[in-house]
Amino acid sequence: MRAVPVSLAALAAALALSGPVQAAERLAGSRPDIASVEGGLWGEMDKVEAEARTRGDLNRDPALNAYMHEIMCKVAGPHCADLRVYVMDRPYFNASMAPNGYTEIWSGLLLRASDEAEVAYVLGHEFGHFVETHSLERYAARKMRANVAMAASVVVAVAGASSAAGATTSGEAQSIIDATRGTIDLIYYAQMAALFRFTREQESEADLLGQRRAGQAGYDVAAAMESWRGLIAETQASDFKRVRRSESRSSIFDSHPLSADRIAALETQARTLTPGGERGRARHRAAIRPFLPAWLRDDLRRRDFGQTLAVIDRLAAGGEDLGVLNYYRGEAYRLRRGEGDLAKAREAYLAASGQPDAPAATWRELGDIHRRDGARAAAKAAYETYLAKAPQAEDAWMVQDSLSSLERSS
Amino acid sequence: MTTLRTTIRPLGIAAAALSLAACASVVAAPAGAFRVGSGYEVSLGRDWSDISAVMAGKTRKVRLLSIDGPLLNRLYLTDGLAPGDFLIKPEIKERPTPVIRKDMSASERLEFITDSVAALEYQRVELAKPRPGRIGEASGVRFDLTAQTREGLDIKGAGVIAERGGKTYVLLYLAPAEHYFDASLAKVEAIMASARLG
Ligand SMILES: [Zn+2]
Repeated sequence: MRAVPVSLAALAAALALSGPVQAAERLAGSRPDIASVEGGLWGEMDKVEAEARTRGDLNRDPALNAYMHEIMCKVAGPHCADLRVYVMDRPYFNASMAPNGYTEIWSGLLLRASDEAEVAYVLGHEFGHFVETHSLERYAARKMRANVAMAASVVVAVAGASSAAGATTSGEAQSIIDATRGTIDLIYYAQMAALFRFTREQESEADLLGQRRAGQAGYDVAAAMESWRGLIAETQASDFKRVRRSESRSSIFDSHPLSADRIAALETQARTLTPGGERGRARHRAAIRPFLPAWLRDDLRRRDFGQTLAVIDRLAAGGEDLGVLNYYRGEAYRLRRGEGDLAKAREAYLAASGQPDAPAATWRELGDIHRRDGARAAAKAAYETYLAKAPQAEDAWMVQDSLSSLERSS
Repeated sequence: MTTLRTTIRPLGIAAAALSLAACASVVAAPAGAFRVGSGYEVSLGRDWSDISAVMAGKTRKVRLLSIDGPLLNRLYLTDGLAPGDFLIKPEIKERPTPVIRKDMSASERLEFITDSVAALEYQRVELAKPRPGRIGEASGVRFDLTAQTREGLDIKGAGVIAERGGKTYVLLYLAPAEHYFDASLAKVEAIMASARLG
């Protein structure tokens, strides 16, 4: 990653020398001349893509990756062969499609989508930026240079952070850093953001194109509005006033809020499209089910429990996976520990315990809560159930200790 | 996703202390007795560097030692943490980090470790093999840990979290799985064994 600032600077220099680029809808299978500005951009993105393949948060599950590729191909049609999807285990709603076809989908998006139709819509939106060559339009408008300069300033700010902890930089750069605080390195973000910050018009265009693409692929076009509404609802569910008062974004690189008129425009277009497409709810859930525990744990580690609870409510709406989902609901309340939260945690763990898919840890947590409440018999029974369900658990001896101390004191 | 306007998070460890020698706020922690807090001492079997001043989310109660720089080996030593204290202090209110509570269960103590490590730049943090352990007179749980850096480098960890008189003591060692972890593990275990709480 250390070489990146240099290559960004080189890219900025190259852009300064070249004239405006004629942006047009791209053709499937086309590759730019390597000596062209677009060719240079592809080269940069090829490097970022090569790095992505070795990153710690890349999800390498073959079934999940194949499923994502399949949805993308439905949306992208003949361009499918030009696109490569990578699922990154990052607990934020985000997707991006670079001009060279390098596409990222983050686990936070898959966890938040209610069904395949919503995933297809978001991919359609990104495909809209891709096929309309929005990144190149940004070149043509010479705004990319400003973005690259911004990216470079982030890199400088990062390098300077050692001597000036708490240094501030432009608001533009700041929002990228804030959105992803601590989870991903800034150089990577700066690089991506330079490419994926579009104009308000381009965002609106991508919204509508994404919805049409998803509709043409046979998906319910109402999923478009529902994806964006889900994000707005999650912002409103935050534990933090400052977050609740901020505006939702369609991705961490989107500098334009998900405004009422963006959703209204989707509603207007939906009335002109064929209704009643498929949702693919069961397929989506089957694909993400193996990852629910890890992704929900990642989400809890963001420690905005109000938002995680909103995500869980959405996942639980269809009445599936209630053992796992209620367990994580209990975890969110237990970790938040606000007024009345431990009682809510107990209720959630109890609800989980009645489901066949409840993790064994449900009973360990129930035991701890009952013990705190002074409900000794209930605590003892819960600990015993944990030990019966997970005799090989590495922490079984710790639970046995808790059980023994209860027995001694009774 | 939401956007907040605040100051840059000091990258502290990752960016600042790539080279220990270049950083003025790094001080020597010579072989011999090392005072972690009032009435809490460990014995260092070799020279370390005290890089507490450049760690991310630093607090008065947490010391960070290293031999070859924080990317290659880190040893966190905390004085007695009281309810409300952190291993890693949050930079802003909207991005909290794990906090010590007065009614923590045994599994919540281990969760305090894993979630604090996750609040640093590590991913896929997993705690393994919890077993009885101690820091001086404080009894608790000894554990191993695995994680990855964002760049995909495998990290291993080892440590103890122990409690005495309502205070929590943490000793946590993190290093790349390849070469570095094993190279200093015995030294760290000797430090663990040398802990004396007054
Ligand atoms: Zn967009």
